[in-house]
This record gives sequence, structure tokens and C-alpha cells, in this order.
Amino acid sequence: MHNLFQYVPGNSIIHRMNPITKIFLTIVICIAAFVSGNLLFLAGLLAVDLLIGFIAGIPEKTLTIFKGLLKIAIFLFVLQILLVRGGTPVFWIITDEGLLTAARVVLRLVIVCMPLALVLAVTRVTDLTNSLVQVLHVPYKYAFTLSTAIRFIPQFLEEMSGIMEAQTARGVAFDKAKGLKKFSMILPLCAPLLISSVRKTDLTAAAAEVRGFRLRTRQSGYKRYPFTILDLGAAAFCLLLLAAAILL
Amino acid sequence: MIEIQDLTFIYKDEKKPALQDIRLTIPEGGFLGVIGPAGAGKTTLARAVSGMIPHHYTGDYYGSVTVNGMDTVETSLEDISRLVGMVFQDVDSQIISPVVEDELLYGLENFGIPREEIPQRIDEALQKVGIADLRERAVGSLSGGQRQKVAIASIIALRPRILVLDEPTGELDPRSSRQVFSLLKELNEEQRITVIIIEQKIMLLCEFARQLAVLSEGKIVRQGDTRDVLAHAEELEALGVNCPRVTTLSRAVSVKTGEEQPVCLNLDEAEAMVRRLIS
Repeated sequence: MHNLFQYVPGNSIIHRMNPITKIFLTIVICIAAFVSGNLLFLAGLLAVDLLIGFIAGIPEKTLTIFKGLLKIAIFLFVLQILLVRGGTPVFWIITDEGLLTAARVVLRLVIVCMPLALVLAVTRVTDLTNSLVQVLHVPYKYAFTLSTAIRFIPQFLEEMSGIMEAQTARGVAFDKAKGLKKFSMILPLCAPLLISSVRKTDLTAAAAEVRGFRLRTRQSGYKRYPFTILDLGAAAFCLLLLAAAILL
Repeated sequence: MIEIQDLTFIYKDEKKPALQDIRLTIPEGGFLGVIGPAGAGKTTLARAVSGMIPHHYTGDYYGSVTVNGMDTVETSLEDISRLVGMVFQDVDSQIISPVVEDELLYGLENFGIPREEIPQRIDEALQKVGIADLRERAVGSLSGGQRQKVAIASIIALRPRILVLDEPTGELDPRSSRQVFSLLKELNEEQRITVIIIEQKIMLLCEFARQLAVLSEGKIVRQGDTRDVLAHAEELEALGVNCPRVTTLSRAVSVKTGEEQPVCLNLDEAEAMVRRLIS
């Protein structure tokens, strides 16, 4: 879980793409997933997601993310087929429309979440924010907020497991509890987590300030983010996806 | 040169002063070690020198801190930061970027270091701290000691004239701790960079620091040349500051023989003393 959002160094074509292109591609995939309701097309989109992960040279991570999402997907699927009442019954209280809606919801969920996680795996957060500032003229303050939020995810998890270990050492049996019970045991830990996080955030702010946070301008970034033929190809692919989504 | 005059500071919403009547002068090219029990105000002192007090941490501020002629209250934090580099005690909070290389880039970019100079500065800083192989690594995948080195490298790359380090070897093994001190010594001697280091490893302080300041409950209880401060070992131990064994030895010999021995700061000096006594 700790490394789920961590950058994996590499030199694949996905790595070398302009960060803006990667964000664009992600958005296009999301839009395509909601424009089209064709199950086959959605399955195709899912294949595109997985393919991107494989081209980027991170098949293991891609599958880990996929498996993680699958768990949530199965839960949602069951919920949907039990709740949707329209259509003709197929078996027990399950209807054909229920099955279709459930399949769409689940596919869309996985399709949309996968590229979001993959972008973070193949792009340095710094490149992401710097390109947002340089190319899209996003104010640095907001870009910094975004990068800090992403940067804090693993630290949050680390801190949380630290607090849980401390509680376990004092006899709290987190390992024996399951489901709601475990949730209710973890909930009170949010207070110490929040307090220590706020303290840390303040220190991080100070660390940024003493290293010239307020002097930073749009041109400060060392790296430049030009668009290349690779990005052109990706853009063409995006248009193709959109066209297919509308037609199918 | 850093001049602290009658500095008293009380953090906002607190009653007790974190620092009280601090008077301290650190000459240019000095190497000052700061030591004292927990809660003595060591970190507050570091923050005052680096301008974080009063610019980031507010509260009641009396007295003055002057860094190279600039009063830290009147100078902007950015202008102080160009001169003073600070390594935080909590490195996890100090590190802003998720990748080592980007962490070093951050300050360089912000302070507008010329583009052509940047790669060389990064190479140099990584090499000096001995982590050239970590350049592309994700910070989250590093050990505590490695992160500490990254934090130090990111500050050294900025080439500050004054380095303030708050327990920079807290997570380092003895060998790496010594490496950090050797690096500081090199910077101090070759480039005349002023070093202020808060450190609990007294043995290293005695060996490298030329001056010591002992803090307790927000006050400086002793300051001066390392040897002179260590001559008051009983006083330090009463405050909970352990003295190195060689110092304890030279003191014990002084008491036993009834004849005042010079304070030993390292093994070589202790050996010389023992040889002299035997012969």
C-alpha cells in the first residue's frame, strides 16, 4: 500500500511523454468511459488502461492496482444487482437491467481509477506540478498544494501504521477485529493522526519558506516541458478514443 | 558573524519563554556546538538564527539577532535564507519533493541559480554527502539515515555562508555521523562557512566544535571554547549532559593526583596524558 502512489523510475514512452499529455489522456479516458455505454467498448478501454501500464514497464504494479480496484468493484457489483429493480428477472431478484447497469458502473469505476493511479506511477509529482505551472499557467501555490497532498499520502500511511503499532503494543487487538469492528477501532486514531499531521505540515511549510517558496515564479523550474512527436501521437490516440466513444 | 543580544522569545500561546536573555556571538568561520537537555531551547535558538523566528513562528520577541549585519526582524526571510541554510531535526517534514534529485533542485530553482550552474551544484552536493547513487530514488523508499543525508545535501547545494543543523545525525550510524562532521569540518575550514550544530553526540562535538554553548531551560549556562566549557564537567553532568569518557578520565586523574591536568578532548590527548603520567 505504501508504494502504491510512488513513482517508478523508467524510460518507457509513457515515462517520456509530457506530463500534460498524460493528464489529458487520463481525462479523455474518463470522458470516453462515461460517454459510451457499450460494454464491449468499455472492456476495450479497460484493456487500454492495462496496456498503458504494460507499455510503461510496470506490469506488476498495474496488476496490483487492478486487483485492489477489483475488490471494490465486486462489492459495488453485488450492491447494484441487488438494488436495481427494473427489467425482467433473470434469477431470484436479479434482473437483466440490474446486471447491465452493474457491469457498466463497475467497468467505469475501474477504467477511471486506473489511469489516475498510473499517472502518479509514471510521472514524478514534481514534473506534474512544474508542467502545470509552466505550460498551463496554474498558480504555483495551487500546484504546490497538489504536490504536497500527493507527497503526504505515503507519510500519512506510515504515521497511521506507527500509531496502530503503538496501540497494538499496548494491547489493542487490531488483528483480531474485522469489518465494522475494526473500523470503529481505527476511527479514534484519526485525532492523533490529524494532530501530528498538522504539526508536520506546518514544518513543511517552514521548510519550503526557508528555501525560497515565495520567490518561485513560473520560469523557476529547471526542467522544460516541450511537446514532442510522442505527445502528438498520444493526442491523435485521444481523438480516436473520443470518436469511438461517441460512435459506439 | 552572528550576534545575538539579550534575546528572549516566548512562542505564541505559551507562557514560559523558550529562550531567555541569550547573549552569544559566533565569529565568521566559527564552529559552534550547541548542547543541552531536551526542552532547553536548542531548536528555538536554531530557528532564531535562521530567521524562522520571527518570520514563521510568531510570539513575544525581545532583543535582537544580527546575521552579517542584518537584523533578522527587519530582513525578509528570503534574504536571510540566502545566507543561512538550516537542516531541520524532523527530516521527513523538511523534504518537500518525492524524488531525491528534485529535492535538491527545489531551493536552487527558487533562489534563481543560473541554469548552467545547477547540474554541477547537484552533483557536488550529492557527492560530498556520499549519496550520488540515490539521485533518482523516491524519498519514500529511503531509510531514515539516507533521508537525513538528502536533507543535508539539499541545503549544502545552496552554498549558504552559515549552516545551522538541528541534530543532523540523529538517525545516522556512528560511521555516517562522523562523515557528516568531517564534511562540516571541510566546509568550515576550506570555505570558511560558519557552522552551528545542535548535537547530542558529545564525543563528536568535542572533537569538531571549536566553541560550545550549553543550554538549559532557555538560558545559556556556559559558553566558550570547547575545552574551557568541558572543564566544568560536574556542572554539565548535573544538567544531564554527559561528558566524553576521555574528559571524565582527565578529571579523575586531576582529582586523584591532586595536580590539575589539561582537559582531554579526544583519544590522542588522553593517550598522551596517560603516557606522560606513566613515565
